[in-house]
Formats: sequence, C-alpha cells, structure tokens
Amino acid sequence: MSIEAKVEKYKKTLSLFPNPQEKYQYLIEQAKLNEDFPPELRIDEFKVNGCQSQVWLVPEEKEEKLHFKSDSDALIAKGLVTLIATIYSDESAQDIADSEIDLMEEFELGVILSPARRNGAFSMLRMIKEFSKKLTN
Amino acid sequence: MKQVSKIKKDFPIFQRLINGKELTYLDSGATSQKPNIVIDSMSEVYKQNNANVHRGTYVLSSETTTKYEDVRNKFKKFINANSPDEIVFTKGCTEGFNLLANSLCKNLSEGDEILLSEIEHHANIIPWQMASDRYGLIIKYVNVDDNFNLDMNHLESQLTEKTKIVSLVGESNISGMLPDIKTISNLIKNKTEALFILDGAQLVPHREVDVQELGIDFLCVSGHKMLGPTGIGVVWGKKELLENMDPVYGGGDMIEEVYYDKATWAPIPHKFEAGTPPYVEAIGLGAAVDYLSDLTMAEVQKHSDHLRLYAKNSLEKINGLNIIHTDSENAGCTFAMSVDGAHATDISLMLDTYGVAVRAGHHCVQPFHRKLKIDATFRATGYIYNDEKDFDTLANAIEESLKILR
Repeated sequence: MSIEAKVEKYKKTLSLFPNPQEKYQYLIEQAKLNEDFPPELRIDEFKVNGCQSQVWLVPEEKEEKLHFKSDSDALIAKGLVTLIATIYSDESAQDIADSEIDLMEEFELGVILSPARRNGAFSMLRMIKEFSKKLTN
Repeated sequence: MKQVSKIKKDFPIFQRLINGKELTYLDSGATSQKPNIVIDSMSEVYKQNNANVHRGTYVLSSETTTKYEDVRNKFKKFINANSPDEIVFTKGCTEGFNLLANSLCKNLSEGDEILLSEIEHHANIIPWQMASDRYGLIIKYVNVDDNFNLDMNHLESQLTEKTKIVSLVGESNISGMLPDIKTISNLIKNKTEALFILDGAQLVPHREVDVQELGIDFLCVSGHKMLGPTGIGVVWGKKELLENMDPVYGGGDMIEEVYYDKATWAPIPHKFEAGTPPYVEAIGLGAAVDYLSDLTMAEVQKHSDHLRLYAKNSLEKINGLNIIHTDSENAGCTFAMSVDGAHATDISLMLDTYGVAVRAGHHCVQPFHRKLKIDATFRATGYIYNDEKDFDTLANAIEESLKILR
C-alpha cells in the first residue's frame, strides 16, 4: 500500500470517531497493539526531541525498504507514533523523501496535531524524512 | 469575596465551550484568565489615548504617560512599597531575574555564593547560572524535604559570609509550599550581608504581600499570572539598592545626558527601562491591580486557602494518585500529580476532552522532577474564578481518564 493509501485508510478510520475522546481511545488501542519494541533500544540515539513524553523511532533498512520501530512512555503519543511508523514503513527511502503529504492537515487530531513547529508529531515526521533523505543522497 | 459565579461573569473566556463542555480552567499557575476590565482598559488606550510615553508635548502623550505612571502608584500601594520609584517595569519575572542577576553579580567577587533552593523555577536558576559562569560565582541549593518544604536547618547551614545573594520562591508552582519569608529574612540578616530576592510569580497573585514587613530586598512579579496581560511584570527593589545598581539595558528613555563617548543615567526607575516600554500592557496590569484590590487580597487569600483544602480532600480520595503537595497548614492552591502506570501527558490530554485545562510536564522545575525521579507531572492550580465544582469536575475526569489509561 502506498503512503497516500495508508494515510487515506487512517483518515477514514479516524473520521469514524467524531469526538476527541474516542480518537484518543483509538490511538491508545493502536499503542497497546504495538508491543515489539526492544527495551534496549530506548536510548537517546533514537529519541525524538520535542515531544512532551519520551518517544523513540528506530529506522531499519531491509531489502531496499525502510521500516520504523516505535515506542513511547505515554500511550497517546505511542499510538500516534505507531500510526506514523506504519504509514512510512515498508516504503523506499525515495518514496518517503518525495512524499509531500501533510499529516497535520490530513488527520483531524485536535490538540495533539496542532500545526505548531514545536509539536511532537512534527519532530517524528522530520526524523523519518531526514533519515530517508540521508539514504537517498 | 464576591461569589465565584459572579466573578466568572467578569471573564469572557468562561462563555466558551471546550469539546462541548464548560471550561474548567485549572492552569492559572501558567497564566491567569483576564477580566473585561483589563481587556477594556487596553483597548481603550489604543482607541482613545495612544501615543508614546514620556516624550510627547501633546494631549494624547500626556494622557498615556499619566495612565502609565499611575500604575506605579497602584502597584506601590498593592505591595506596600515605599515609593513608586521602587517599581521597575519588566516583561515579567523571567526578565526581572535576568535584570537582577546581570546587575548585581558583576559587583561580586570570584568564589562568592548565591543561595537558591531545589524547587526553584528555571527563571530563578538559569540567570544565576549564566552570571556564575561569567563571574566565577558558586550556586548552592537549599534542600527540599520529603514533605516538600524547605529544610530550614539546611538553609541556615548554607548561609556563610560568602553568601551574597539569596533568591527563593515565595509560593511554589509545584507543591504550593509557602516558605516562612520573615524567618528566613532574619536568618539571612543575622548571619550574612546577603541580598534577599523573592520570586513572587505565584505569591503575589494569590496572597497579601507587604514587602516592608517581609524583610526582603527585591521582589519579582509577572503581570499575566495576576489577571494582567502578558509582557508586563515588576521588579520591586529598595530605593537605595536600585539607586546604586547599574542598568542592564541601554537605549532611549533610560538616559539623562548622552555624549559620543559616554552617557549618564536617568533616575530610578527609568534607568532600568530602556526603549519604549510596554505601556499599554502596564495600563492593563493597573486594571488587574484594581480588580484584585476591589476583591481585596485578604479575601483572595482566604478563597485560595478554602479552595486548597477542598481540592486536597477530593484529590486525596483518588486511588493511586500521587500528590506532590506540602504538608504545611498554609499553602497555595497548587497540586502537581502523577499516577503510576499512566503518563501525565496522556492524563492531561484526556482531561482536555472533559473541558478540564491542566498542564503536563516539568513546569519549568526540571531539576526537582529529576530529584523525585518523575519525568512529568500534571498540575492543577485554583484561582479566584475557580470553585469547589471545578475540583469536583477535575476529580471525576481524572477517575474516568484512568479507567481508559490503566
């Protein structure tokens, strides 16, 4: 599935939950499903700066595709980083670097995706993009 | 005090619904909401009087200058200063501490000591760290005990002839702790010649403050935490001390005579206020002082004490809630909280969906959170527009949120 198709899928799912509390509950469920993060990778090298809670993103390259493992000590942030990691996983570095989709615009996630520069989600996306751009160069 | 339901009507923001619910605003420790009188006073200046202060020779400038300078008189009365000249306008507490650290520390000698406490806001740590790096000073910290109070014996033991500045919080933005300022002032005076600076960011909005009775030398205040606008605050200092201090910022309005190679300074307070001051914000602060003075600070303090006891009682009933709050009889209505197994950010995001506004993070007191080995807490603070119902809403929302999060 392409990045755009995955974004579309999540957008549709999130729109099923009209109020913010249900949206958060959906993110919490996604967080609870994401259990395969090795605790030893909870290190500063993989930490995403600029988040209110601690968030880790670990990129891996397998058969010319990128994969992202993700974790957080807070559930809602973990749900969000799980979504973002899934969207950009199993894609080529070139596709990720070229993708111009604006998650902040696409997902109506209220306060956690407000288009602020110091927003944690913005930092997660920047980390994924920077890693992909480094590989394509 | 005037009924809270009537006070709420003076604050237009409470007409808003948040996520379809009434706003339960419990983040006044970060910034307070503003009453109409403050908002209107500022818009009136722009509509009726606006002109730069101190320089003009026309009606508008004279009116604005009169309004602006009158705020010094109001503030003098509000904290019982000796003279309006002791009221220096700043952007807020942070600028106040930077002004004091920059002006006072350059007269100190290498090895001189500055005494702070473990529970200070970053605004009362970083400016001293920066000055210490520059002048080779040593910063020491008074211990905070397990009940979140200053360890007075430790404080006394840290006072030596090398102590030149003691700068302490007046009301903690974490634990609500109210140090015994008069006793501390006596200890300092008996053992040292140090200057005593008080961080009034949380204290001045909530309690009666008489700078002469407290026995302090300087007080820093933020206007936006006491119903005033952002970008305005006050440093109060004893006249003879301010007169002997050098200014920190240079520019227009702070000078007497300027030559190509030198300049002389205007008298206090103006020598500390370079450039066009935030006069509209200062006038807004004056309206905030009027509003609080009408309620009387004695009543504001009584309300804070009553609300704190109610809040403490209802929060203590919540299973698994760790409350970082002093065990003293007197304290501010501020509660930093954490829950084992649930992140403070998750809790505050969930509370927002109930219309409850609280803060999550380290509240600019990171070293103390590190000491407690907690990454983050969520914090509720009560003010004049909060009542028992707000803390009931908070307690219910915490319990409902924890059902989802744990």
